[in-house]
Amino acid sequence: MIKLFKRRTRIAMQQVKKKKAPFTYKAYSKKPKHKWLKKRNAQERRFKRAGFIAILIAFLFLASLVWNVFSNGYSAFTEAQIRLPITFQADLVEERAYRKIVQNSLLEIFPNVKDRKEKRALFSLASRNAPHLLKELIETNPELIGNKEYIWIPTSSAVSIFYKQRLYEQAKRGGKITPSQTSWITELARSKNMQLKFNTAFFKNGDSREAEQAGVRASTIGSFLTILVCIAMAFPLGVATAVYLEEFAPKNWFTDFIEININNLAAVPAIIFGLLGLSIYLNMFGLPRSSSLVGGMILALLILPVIVIATRNALQAVPPSIRNAAAALGATPTQVVFHHTLIYALPGIMTGVILSISRAFGETAPLLMIGMVAFIADVPKTLTDPATTLPVQVYLWANNPELGFVEKTAAAIMILLIFMILINLLAIYIRRRFEIKW
Amino acid sequence: MIVASVFSETMRFFSHVPLLDFFFGTEWSPQTAIRADQAGSSGTFGAVPVFMGTFLVTLIAMAVAAPLGLYAAIFLSVYASAGFKAWAKPTLEILAGVPSVVYGYFAVITVAPILRAGGEMIGLSIASESALTAGTVMGIMITPYVMSLSEDVISSVPKALSFGSLAMGATQSETIKKVVLPAALPGIVSALLLGISRGVGETMVVVMAAGLAANLTFNPLESVTTATVQIVTLLVGDHEFDSDKTLAAFALGFSLFFTTLILNIVALIIVKRYRELYD
Repeated sequence: MIKLFKRRTRIAMQQVKKKKAPFTYKAYSKKPKHKWLKKRNAQERRFKRAGFIAILIAFLFLASLVWNVFSNGYSAFTEAQIRLPITFQADLVEERAYRKIVQNSLLEIFPNVKDRKEKRALFSLASRNAPHLLKELIETNPELIGNKEYIWIPTSSAVSIFYKQRLYEQAKRGGKITPSQTSWITELARSKNMQLKFNTAFFKNGDSREAEQAGVRASTIGSFLTILVCIAMAFPLGVATAVYLEEFAPKNWFTDFIEININNLAAVPAIIFGLLGLSIYLNMFGLPRSSSLVGGMILALLILPVIVIATRNALQAVPPSIRNAAAALGATPTQVVFHHTLIYALPGIMTGVILSISRAFGETAPLLMIGMVAFIADVPKTLTDPATTLPVQVYLWANNPELGFVEKTAAAIMILLIFMILINLLAIYIRRRFEIKW
Repeated sequence: MIVASVFSETMRFFSHVPLLDFFFGTEWSPQTAIRADQAGSSGTFGAVPVFMGTFLVTLIAMAVAAPLGLYAAIFLSVYASAGFKAWAKPTLEILAGVPSVVYGYFAVITVAPILRAGGEMIGLSIASESALTAGTVMGIMITPYVMSLSEDVISSVPKALSFGSLAMGATQSETIKKVVLPAALPGIVSALLLGISRGVGETMVVVMAAGLAANLTFNPLESVTTATVQIVTLLVGDHEFDSDKTLAAFALGFSLFFTTLILNIVALIIVKRYRELYD
């Protein structure tokens, strides 16, 4: 026994003498002793790396999406203009031959162009809308007739893109811009007769067949009208349904059935709502096709279940002590709900409603069904006018193969996203500002 | 109301076209006759190619979304620091809030050319409107949805379970694979089912990126069509309401509605039945 003890002490003393490093987890994990441990740790690292890569890829998608839209779209906010010496000859104005006026002034700068084909190429530098602009100018300033004036005229979208993106190299290999057009543009740019300006047409105009004249005004207003109808219908209906189900309805199989249905409706694909709108609103009630009224009513159906669910959650979050206190003071059940519960639940309800509106704002598919894809250049004035909305406009432009529309599409997406971000920020603000923590 | 309206139109369609032809026919060429004696004047409504196309695109989408979403969810709930998670999750949820038109644009402008160039490099010709493009972009679209749902599920697995496993000497990944995931499985399955039901009902991405020709094919590089695309192409524009063509759209819509409904109900049942097993 003593012998054993002595031996142990000796071993312990030897170890102290060797000054063996104290045991730490770090040292242990740094060099695993066993093969299987090494394998397990490698597995662990692989797994963690896989997770990280997944997150990274998701971020990459987000970044490339945003980058893509912005890099394609930012250029649509500017347009190239050329300064032309325009002579408003009285006889031409009389004949309303504004196109001739523009052509004459282009020939005045480049008098050497004689060939028919070359002339046509020269005339296509200016936007096809230029004569129309001159007409408006004359109508507001009749004193210009007979005078010569230097005026900035928008260029056609091909020229605009060429100038903005400096596609000189590409033009040499052949493209939309001919070599002679390239030389004219270079000449204009050198003599400071070409400039980039903020593209006001994009915000002032409706849709157009000409890319340089197409704008988002009509579709933005259409969007707002549609959302207005949508709110006017979905908000009272949704909140009333939720209040009834949550506060007043008896608990029986019928309310259970309604509840299940509402939950399922929230997950029905949007396009089904389009079918519904088509067959009920248009076919049965005969409401006007492609109007923002019908669009809003369809979107209202779409977000109704979402609003009901959000409102019920908000109502459930109000503690029973509030209700009990109100009831104890003699309030009728109706007064309890409308004076107390609903008021306290309002911030939650508003957040839910606003978030569902942001969903409705970006919705396209059901609106295609009821014909809101028609080409509409005019700004809708009433609810029954044919209208289109921003996302539908994006869809229409994205289908247009012309190069000028690519940047317009991206720019319209930017505006759409900006609106959606604003709506979401509003929801966050309301939640932060008014939310009551129980 | 939805059921009633879509169902009644569907019934009218099936009074024109036999039920079996619709569900098992392999030819889809809906057209109304211009002349009475035209060949194939009545149009054929075999919806198999349409359903197959839907299935194929959704399959590709889930092949992208399921691993990405799950791994991202695991990383966020287990490995990521609280600070990283606090900003990463809402940022990725932005992806879920982006309107689907934007994804369609993204598919046409960016993803399709990249895939085509990539295909050329390895000697494959990819149609500019292919199931692969539509599926990939749809997968990107569903990823944050799957991620967010399964992250909630994984986080709600009681900590005691994973602590127990860790205390036994299991590594973090072993704990996740052998303890946390089995516990969270019903929730994850239902998250995937909801993702599928979203993919089946998604319209804009496929309308813009998948094409119109109803090919009966499993080749993801070719152009396919889906139920939602067919509904849109059949119904956009002015039509009379009782032609076979518009009624076919309602029949497709009804099948679509039914499919997503079943998927959602199954997902709900799975969650309900297994939810409180570990509490």
